[in-house]
Amino acid sequence: MARETNLIKCIGTESYEKLRNTKVLLVGAGGIGCELLKDLLLLDVGEIHIVDLDTIDLSNLNRQFLFRKRDIKQPKSVTAVKAVQRYSNSKLVAYQNNIMDTEAFPLAWFGQFSIVYNALDNLAARRYVNKMCQFTGKPLIESGTSGFDGYIQPIFPSVTECFDCTAKETPTTFPVCTIRSTPSRLIHCVVWAKNFLFGQLFAESFDEGVSDQNLGTDDQQEIARIKEETNELHALQRLVKSGDETNVSHILKKLFVDDINKLLKIENIWKTRVKPTPLSILESSGNPPTDLALTWTLQENVDKFIEVTKTLMSRLKVEPFIEFDKDDEDTLLFVSCAANIRSHIFHIPAKSVFDIKQMAGNIIPAIATTNAIIAGLSSLVSLRVLDLVSNVSNAPLDIPMAFTARASSIATNRYLSNPTLAPKNPNCSVSSNIQRTVLKLTQPILDNMTLYNLNQKIISKYGFSGEFSVLDTNTNSLLYDFDFDDLEGRKLSRFNFKTGSVLLYKDEEMEEGAQLRQSIEFYLEISPESSEEELHLVDLPRYTYTYHSPYGDEEQDLDDTATEFNHDKTEEDHFAIETLIVDDEPGDDNRNSLKRQLSNSVHSPPSKAVKLNSPQSDDDLILLD
Amino acid sequence: MSDTGALSADEIALYDRQIRLWGMAAQANMRSASVLLVNLGAIGNEITKNIVLSGIGSLTILDSHVITEEDLGCQFFIGKEDVGLKRVEAASRHIEDMNPRVKLTVDTSDIHSKDKEFFSQFSLIVATDLMPAELNTLNTLTRELNLPIYVAGINGFSGYIFTDLIEFLATDEKLKSARPEELGKHSPNKDIVKLSERKDEEKNAVYQVITTKHSYKPLNELLRSAVLSNQLSRRQLKRLTPKVPLTLTLLQYGDYKDIEFEDYKRKYNLMCKQLGLLIEETKDETIADFLQQTAVDISPVAAIVGGAVAQDVINVLGKRQSPLNNFVVFDGITLDMWVLEL
Repeated sequence: MARETNLIKCIGTESYEKLRNTKVLLVGAGGIGCELLKDLLLLDVGEIHIVDLDTIDLSNLNRQFLFRKRDIKQPKSVTAVKAVQRYSNSKLVAYQNNIMDTEAFPLAWFGQFSIVYNALDNLAARRYVNKMCQFTGKPLIESGTSGFDGYIQPIFPSVTECFDCTAKETPTTFPVCTIRSTPSRLIHCVVWAKNFLFGQLFAESFDEGVSDQNLGTDDQQEIARIKEETNELHALQRLVKSGDETNVSHILKKLFVDDINKLLKIENIWKTRVKPTPLSILESSGNPPTDLALTWTLQENVDKFIEVTKTLMSRLKVEPFIEFDKDDEDTLLFVSCAANIRSHIFHIPAKSVFDIKQMAGNIIPAIATTNAIIAGLSSLVSLRVLDLVSNVSNAPLDIPMAFTARASSIATNRYLSNPTLAPKNPNCSVSSNIQRTVLKLTQPILDNMTLYNLNQKIISKYGFSGEFSVLDTNTNSLLYDFDFDDLEGRKLSRFNFKTGSVLLYKDEEMEEGAQLRQSIEFYLEISPESSEEELHLVDLPRYTYTYHSPYGDEEQDLDDTATEFNHDKTEEDHFAIETLIVDDEPGDDNRNSLKRQLSNSVHSPPSKAVKLNSPQSDDDLILLD
Repeated sequence: MSDTGALSADEIALYDRQIRLWGMAAQANMRSASVLLVNLGAIGNEITKNIVLSGIGSLTILDSHVITEEDLGCQFFIGKEDVGLKRVEAASRHIEDMNPRVKLTVDTSDIHSKDKEFFSQFSLIVATDLMPAELNTLNTLTRELNLPIYVAGINGFSGYIFTDLIEFLATDEKLKSARPEELGKHSPNKDIVKLSERKDEEKNAVYQVITTKHSYKPLNELLRSAVLSNQLSRRQLKRLTPKVPLTLTLLQYGDYKDIEFEDYKRKYNLMCKQLGLLIEETKDETIADFLQQTAVDISPVAAIVGGAVAQDVINVLGKRQSPLNNFVVFDGITLDMWVLEL
């Protein structure tokens, strides 16, 4: 009997040998990642590369079983690899890096693996790895958990549904007026305290970007008040910066008495609502509470608010500004107390600091068991994806995905739901109607070629019609289309292209029945050290599809385009009012992920999505975290 | 560390992400529980990891096995240098290191040497990797002691969980639907005994609070009376994974090593009939494949089955929602995982 005896009884010697020669990529060494690493090691997978940017935190230790208290602040990937040495029979390579770092991980790097496992906690990275797998044609096992719920989804590029084939949950949005004038739930007060109040008083210059169109109200009196309040807060900010502790009572009175009284004067908005009651307690009892797990009384919230505001004011003497961080207790206490005081004013039940931390920090509950089950499923299904299980069809459309049906109250007699994989969505902009290749740009090419030169080479080589568009999909900026040629004369070196930039060429001929060339995405590889002057374009088969006007018109004129444009703009504005990202512990790339999400939610040619994505509307987004 | 009373700030910080799921009260309840795990094999490793991380009060592991090369292929508390040592002794310091708050006891005696008094000191028993004859003996004992027991095993690509909590009152909350639950018989092993409502102001929703009485039966009785035609649709009876009758048939043998193919096949066909299944005749090859994998451990299946057991143990100890009732079969090829009331 040997280490591999059991495994060989299940998959056979030949498959076992293949597994020993398989090199896999594991993206993420967190909740699912730790479990998956253990499972893959015990499956004797030959070589495992594991990537994670994060460091270990105390709150990880209830589930990330490879980490200990002594490992806090250490990098997850490296620590995980050290922790498994005792039972590892595989070659392990750890990277403390962002998987989206194109310098560390260019496209070719992804190409070395037989399969990729996603064990990620944010949308942006999931989308990115999904796309890299579409570029390289590598199968991906996508997975995720939230509390008792979890799922796994194998993805065969350009065959089965990819991560972007289905719409992802849109972020919850609140109109500005709900946050600023008429909160009805505690979350409204938390968003107000964190995004508006804290941002105004302590954070680096903060422009809320409120404009008349996206307030969610038509009441001119209310709009005027909202703007006035913003200006007055700038005055409060000066009080805060003064460092004079006696100013705290001014702040308390302004926020919770004067502003509420002003609000009460706008009679229209109280016709159908219960009127708020201005704060009656303005003095500290001198006895601030300490137990963060209890729901405090109004007096206790006021006491703590006064105390923590003073602390933050004195911190401003040494720190130029303070950003909200759920793990910075002063900032958390300020937001919690302010939210609870406001909720009292609006007759909404208060909650403990512990509970508000979850709301303000977008904390997703996470447990060992769900992660273990999901990682187990991910590694198990990968045996079929790699065609290592016999006596069963391992064709992509015969392989199941799975999600926790019982835990998610979808079924009582099925622990898991396990539908077979769906074919890719023909309307998906990531997996369908698109070809992908690498485009190498050397220094001489960057220096000598204009965008016009590049466009000409590409359209003649690949057979695009005269009307096409070019989009930099990483920045979501339009470089060229039939009525935007301002940048065509620019040298390529002036575009700030990097390795990892992706250019999308799309046929924009809009004649009913026209044969459009399938779009191509070019992954740019910049080689400054190469002196090659000739641009090399790889051969690609030319696939076409037929253009049908969305309006069924025989010929589409410019007016129609204009109508569609306006329609989209309204939709975009709707999203832009105020946005609360609900994402699993979001990283720094929130803004980008949200942008991508928004532009993906607009189902129109990418060129239009970009025109809509004006910098102005980005600033209107208010993000939690 | 005190066993009773509120959680400390340290505990709240450590268990933050799970308290947000099951609440402070459940976390405190778990701390006063004492669990016995029988055998630290592949599933035992998973269950131990999960319940130790979750902050159970105390865990005793009973395992007399000596580490073999084979153990290295599906266990993660041991390494190459431990071959020849007792499994629990080699693993214990790594288990303790994972969460020093949990009181861990390891016991290398043979399960057959343990008397009633030994088992009576625990609040719950989890038995893994036991042969059916041993399971039945243990199950008789847990019935006498009125102790809840979880049983789990892996057979290569498939795994099972059997639960006997004797009787259990569970409270669940469900968004009130157009067809609310009614008092009375709910399913073969469940009766709804109390209903009330709760309004959630923050979410602006009404929940039905449902108290369910769960009834269980011992393993040997379950095998004799198991029926599925009372709970599955015709379509499900036709398409049910054969891993369900294959597993139930297997548990009719005292020891797997006594199994002879033709005898097993005959018992298997009888089991299909007893259950009321309408599945096509199972190929000899499928049966032979299954028999070749009896008691064969592979790590992903252990992770899934062990994860489900641990989750339910935590749930029951935390006194939360309805527990598993009473037989789960996992098919690692199709990823079917049925929760059947047998």
